Amino acid sequence: MVLDPQFIWNGIVVGSIISVSALGLTLIFGILNFINIAYGDYMATGAYLAFALNAQIGLPLGVAIVAGVAGMAAGAVLIDKLVFEHFRTSSPVTLLIVSIGVAFFIRNLIRAIWGPTGNFYDVPIEANPNLFGVRYSVEQLSIIVASLLLLTAVYVLLRRTRIGIAMRAASDDRTLTRIRGVDTERLVLYVWIAGGAIAGLGGIMLGLDAQIRPNMGFTALIPIFAATILGGIGDPKGAVAGGFAIGILQEVSVVVVPSEYKFAVALAALIVGLLLRPDGLFGEATR
Amino acid sequence: MALLDLFLVVGIIAGVYSLLAIGMNMHWGDTGLLNFAHAAFFAVGAYTSAILTTPTPEAGLLAERTVGFDLPVVVGIVAGTVLAAVLGFVIATTSVRLEGDYLAMVTLSSAELVRLVIHNEAWLTTGAQTLKNIPRPMESTVATLPVSYDVFYFLLVWALVGATYLLFERMSNGPFGRVLHAIRENDDVALALGKDVTQFKLKSFAIGAGVAGLAGTLWAHYVYAISPVMFLPSITFLIWAAVIIGGAGSYAGAIVGAVVIVFLRQVTRFIPGSVPFSDQMSYLRLMLVGVVLVAVLYYRPEGLLGNAERLQAGTSEGE
Repeated sequence: MVLDPQFIWNGIVVGSIISVSALGLTLIFGILNFINIAYGDYMATGAYLAFALNAQIGLPLGVAIVAGVAGMAAGAVLIDKLVFEHFRTSSPVTLLIVSIGVAFFIRNLIRAIWGPTGNFYDVPIEANPNLFGVRYSVEQLSIIVASLLLLTAVYVLLRRTRIGIAMRAASDDRTLTRIRGVDTERLVLYVWIAGGAIAGLGGIMLGLDAQIRPNMGFTALIPIFAATILGGIGDPKGAVAGGFAIGILQEVSVVVVPSEYKFAVALAALIVGLLLRPDGLFGEATR
Repeated sequence: MALLDLFLVVGIIAGVYSLLAIGMNMHWGDTGLLNFAHAAFFAVGAYTSAILTTPTPEAGLLAERTVGFDLPVVVGIVAGTVLAAVLGFVIATTSVRLEGDYLAMVTLSSAELVRLVIHNEAWLTTGAQTLKNIPRPMESTVATLPVSYDVFYFLLVWALVGATYLLFERMSNGPFGRVLHAIRENDDVALALGKDVTQFKLKSFAIGAGVAGLAGTLWAHYVYAISPVMFLPSITFLIWAAVIIGGAGSYAGAIVGAVVIVFLRQVTRFIPGSVPFSDQMSYLRLMLVGVVLVAVLYYRPEGLLGNAERLQAGTSEGE
């Protein structure tokens, strides 16, 4: 059986989106130590902000994307100041449930403003070009390029800058980092900015690839969770590897599994991963 | 009179949600398990009972379903409860050894998988279309009585809520519940005392899932028609909100929490005439649920009827 390269291409596109989104989730987890259920709704907010500026106000898509990403970074900080900051000393489980409340609020705010139906970005509709038997769209190409740029930027941030090194330290042991003189509350601010921006970008990518819907981020959460856990919660490198693994596995599985069930592949990968490598692909889970 | 009818409808929904919250409270309140698969147990109860009690649809243009059994409603209700418990057991076997939030993510994913199966296996469930004409229990008998059917169903649902409450309260205070509480506080201690911790967690999961299944059967037989969109993960989250608002660990709290949530969602039905933003009202209500949930966690973390001691146990979990 010869594998159609189209499936691999689709897998890389989906994998890019999952990787970027999982990276943001795992960064937030690394510093704040809780699973943010509202993360999917952060993604949707980013997508809708860009949609409002692009399709409703008429700005060029590039500008709208930058503004949407920046807007969501600011939004994440705002939500932290309004809600999460008051629960800094609470248990991870309490924070998880707080984030359910936040998720209800954001998702229904989106529905109240933009309505429950699907929307599209204002992009020219063209026939998809064909290269070596693989159909691709300009949007897909930009998704991959954008994700590679972002992943490189985050890598440089975490490896080469003082903020990034402090973030990795705090992700390992927050108390010890504070003892060494790092202002961890400032780090929390930076991580919300980074995590919010990444969530926004992930949401916009998702909207470019498919549709902009109020629950788009929430429905995407499960493969994102799977990637995060597979990579080891809190491990950025693992999240990216997990994201691509799950994206490609999901799309390639169409060859053997009915396509309605390709999502089940993510779940299977998640369960097998948890049983075989509970500390993540690289054994670097922070928990 | 109209107001009374409305009260009955909301009351029946609140009863169904109370059963869901009772099941969740066994998982989280008693055992400290982060179950996010509740919507799936609810769905399995509803679909099992619906499929068992409806006749095989006649072959037609839209009749995709080829299975139906036309059994008495009682059989459906019992089978729905049992099958949901079995599903709870199966989901728990794959994941109950996982720690806190890992368990949350795996159960949430499992629940979505269940919904996916219901959505896709049209021969069994009519798929994305609604499964219609689910019979109501004793409808012809009640029709001869001088009261409306909703009065009968309201009493039926709340009688079951009452019975379930007493049963679970008893279980929670008995030897079984004490082991669950020990597991919640610290499962190593329970293990050191010779308790088979995994076995107890599996039982807790199955029992709580069974009650959610019972809630599902009652829901299906009340609303006539069910479809997969009724069983989105937001049901699970609403029940979480109910348990937390009511006070984790308290079965009375679970019921109060469920009533509060249903009231918050349905309150605008009681406001007559036109109100501003009426189109957005259902969204605003759910935003309100989010605000209330966060506010309760901030101002009264133990919930309305929970106790602070239980809260201490909750915070040590997952550290």
